[in-house]
Amino acid sequence: MTTSNTTANGDDQAQSVALTINGLAVNAHEGMSLVEAAWHGGVPQVTSVGCLEGVCGSCRIMLRRGKEVTVGLACQTFVENGVEVVFLPPASAPLHHYEVSDFKDGWDIQARFQDIFPEASRCRHCHGCDNACPKGITVENGVALAAAGRFREAGEAFFECVMCELCDAACPELIAPAHVGLFSRRVTAHFHLRPPNLIHRLEELRKERMENPPKDRRKKNNED
Amino acid sequence: MSKGIPLAEALARYRADADIAPLPGSTDIDTLLNTYHPDHLRGSVVKLAVGANAGDSCQRELAGLLQAEAFIDEADLAGSPVTDIDVLVIGGGGAGCAAALAAAENGARVLLATKLRLGDSNTVMAEGGIQAAIEPDDSVQRHIQDTLRGGHHVGDPTLVSALAGDGPEVLHWLINQGMQFDQTPSGDLHTRRAGGMSTPRLVHCRDYTGLEMMRVLREAVIQHRSIEVWEQSPAVELLSNEVGQKCVGAVLTSLNNGQLRIVRTRSVILATGGLGRLHLNGFPTSNHLGATGDGLVLAYRIGARLCELDSFQYHPTGLVHPSHLAGKLVTEGVRAAGALLVNGLGQRFIDELQPRDVVCAAILRECSEGRGVRVNDQHSGVWLDTPRLERAQPGLLEKQFTSLMTRTRVAGIDPRVEPLLVHPTLHYQNGGAVIDANGATTVPGLYAVGEVSGGIHGRNRLMGNALLEIISFGRRAGAAATADRDRGPKKVTLEHVNQLRRALTLAGLPMTQRAPQILPDYAAGGVWNR
Repeated sequence: MTTSNTTANGDDQAQSVALTINGLAVNAHEGMSLVEAAWHGGVPQVTSVGCLEGVCGSCRIMLRRGKEVTVGLACQTFVENGVEVVFLPPASAPLHHYEVSDFKDGWDIQARFQDIFPEASRCRHCHGCDNACPKGITVENGVALAAAGRFREAGEAFFECVMCELCDAACPELIAPAHVGLFSRRVTAHFHLRPPNLIHRLEELRKERMENPPKDRRKKNNED
Repeated sequence: MSKGIPLAEALARYRADADIAPLPGSTDIDTLLNTYHPDHLRGSVVKLAVGANAGDSCQRELAGLLQAEAFIDEADLAGSPVTDIDVLVIGGGGAGCAAALAAAENGARVLLATKLRLGDSNTVMAEGGIQAAIEPDDSVQRHIQDTLRGGHHVGDPTLVSALAGDGPEVLHWLINQGMQFDQTPSGDLHTRRAGGMSTPRLVHCRDYTGLEMMRVLREAVIQHRSIEVWEQSPAVELLSNEVGQKCVGAVLTSLNNGQLRIVRTRSVILATGGLGRLHLNGFPTSNHLGATGDGLVLAYRIGARLCELDSFQYHPTGLVHPSHLAGKLVTEGVRAAGALLVNGLGQRFIDELQPRDVVCAAILRECSEGRGVRVNDQHSGVWLDTPRLERAQPGLLEKQFTSLMTRTRVAGIDPRVEPLLVHPTLHYQNGGAVIDANGATTVPGLYAVGEVSGGIHGRNRLMGNALLEIISFGRRAGAAATADRDRGPKKVTLEHVNQLRRALTLAGLPMTQRAPQILPDYAAGGVWNR
C-alpha cells in the first residue's frame, strides 16, 4: 500500500491533462484535484493546503479558462485541460475589530454592528461575493439580513461558511462578508442560546462546589 | 493486498434491495484484534533505546522520529531574531486557540505560532460533536466511567475526572465565545448517543461541530488584543536552560522564507495535534496535512515522558474512492443511523456498532482474506451500504449528513444511489505526552494539550471526547502557564539536543534521519524544502 493518500485511484489508463499552476506547466491525470496536481507537478511554494476536504478554507485559488476568471478551493476543484491556476496568498488580517465580551447586552447590538461594520449597509449588489463563494452561500442576502439587524437569519445563511474569505476579497466596498456572517452567528449564540438542561446542570455543579469545596485545589503558583 | 473481488464485478453484483444473511456466529474479539488490528501487526512495534521512555514499546516509524537528529544546532541560533513573550502556544487548532485565549484572559501576552493557517487543524473536520454530561439522567460520574471503560481502563482517572467535570462549563464558555449548538424545540441542547456512551451525551452543531467551533475560536483569537498570531511558522526545536532541563522557548521557522526565529518565554504550550500524516504502517489518514507528530518529537527530545506510543485509533470507515478524498472519514454517525458494512460478496461480517478497533480489524480481515472489493493492487475496501439506509429511511442522508453529501456531490458521487467504498484510516493518536491536570508535562515550563498529550483516552478514544479535551485542557494549561511566576529565561540553549545526540551515539543509533517531519514527503516538494 502506498503511503500517499493522493495517488491516483488505479485508473492506470487515466487521461493526461495539461494545465498551468502558479505559472508552471503541469501534467496531471484526469480526476485529480488541483492540490493533487500541484504536488504531482512539484509546484514549489504552495503553502496554503490544509484539510483536503473543503472545510478549512485555506487552499484558495484563482482560475482562468479563456476569458473567464473564477475563484475557488483547490482541494474541491478538478484538473481541466488548459486551465491556468494561481494559489492565492492567505487573507490579510481583518479590518474590523471587536471582542464579544465587550458587548454588555443585546439591546444596542444593531448600533454596535453599524459601528464595527459601517460598510455593510453600503452593498451595491454586484453579486461578487455570491459568485466567489465556493460553498454556494447567498452571501449578499446574508449581509443584507445582518445590516437589517436580523442576525439569527443572517448567521443561518452563513452556516456552511469555511472562512476562506474569498467573498471579502471580492467585495468592492470592503464589507468583509465572511466576518459579518461570523459576527451574526456569534452574537446569536452569545445573547440568545440559553439551554435549560445545561443551565440546570451548571447550577447543580455550583451548589455541589459550595457544599464541598474541592480539597486538593492545587493552585500552587498563586499562593506564594 | 492484491486479493479481492474487482471493483466492477462487485458493483455489478451489488443490490441495495438484496436480502442480507444474518451475521455469522460470534467472533472471538481478542483473536480478531491480535491478528488484524494494525497496532498488533508483526514488526510494527519496537522498543525505544534512548530518552525518557527507553525500554517502552513504540510504533516503529514513530520511534524513528523520536530517536532522530535535530535540524539545528547552536550555530544556527546566532543572528536569529529574538522575540520575548509571556506564553508561546505552538499549534493553531482548537486546543491552541483555547490555550491562547485562556492565557490572554489571565493577563498574559501570548504568541500563537502555527505551521499552516490559523484554524488549519483536525478540529475543523470533527463532525460528531462534543461530550458533556448535561442530561437529567446523566452525571459527571457516568461520563468518567464511560471514558475509562472506553479506554480499556488505561486512562488516568485524575485527568478523566478533570475532563468530565469540565464538560458543562466548557459548553458555557463556548456559547459565550459565540458557538452555536443544535437545540430541541424546547430550547435544550440536543444530545445524541454514540459508541461507548451509556446515555445520550453528544452535543453537536449538525455534522459541522468542529467547523463551527474552529471558526468561532479562530475569530476570537484574531480579534483578541493580547494575542499575536504567526502563521506558516512551524516549530523546529524547543529551547532549554543551561542544564537542558527546563523549557524556556522555541525556535520557529517560516514556510515562506526559511528564516529561523527564536522565541524566549516563561512557558511553552504544545498544541500540535496528532500524526496521521506520518501514514503509520502504510495506512491512509483522515488527518489534516500538518498532522505530522512534531509536538511528540520536540517534547521527547527535551526529556518529556510520553505514554501509549503503540496505540492508535484507525477509524473503520475512511473513503477509498474518489482519490482526492482517500482516507477521509464517513462519520460513525452513518453506522449509528443504521448503515451496514457489506463485503464484496454482499455479506455482512461484523456488528457495525462494535468499538472502532474491532470493526477496523474485521474490515482488514475481509480485505486480506479476499472478500474485499479490490480497486487496484494497492487499494481495497468494503461497502458502506448507504443506499440501503436511504431505502429504509428516505431523506435521512440529506437531512442529517450535510457534510458527507456536500463532499461527495463535488466528486459526482451520490451515496443514496451507490454504496461507499471504505477502508480503515489512521485517525487518532491515543497516547502522547504525559500531563497532569494542568496540562503540565514532566518537563518544567512545557505544557501539552489536545491530541499531542496522552493519558485521557487510554488505548481507545470515544467520539466527542476530543473536542471536549481540547477546550477543557487547553483552558487549564493556558491558565496554569500564565500563573507560572518565573521571570523568564536568562539564557536559552540547545543543551537538551546535545544530550540526546550523546545518548544516540552511545546507543549506536544512526543520525541520518532528521525530525520533526513538518510536512509529509509528498507535499514537501510543493510546500517546503529542507
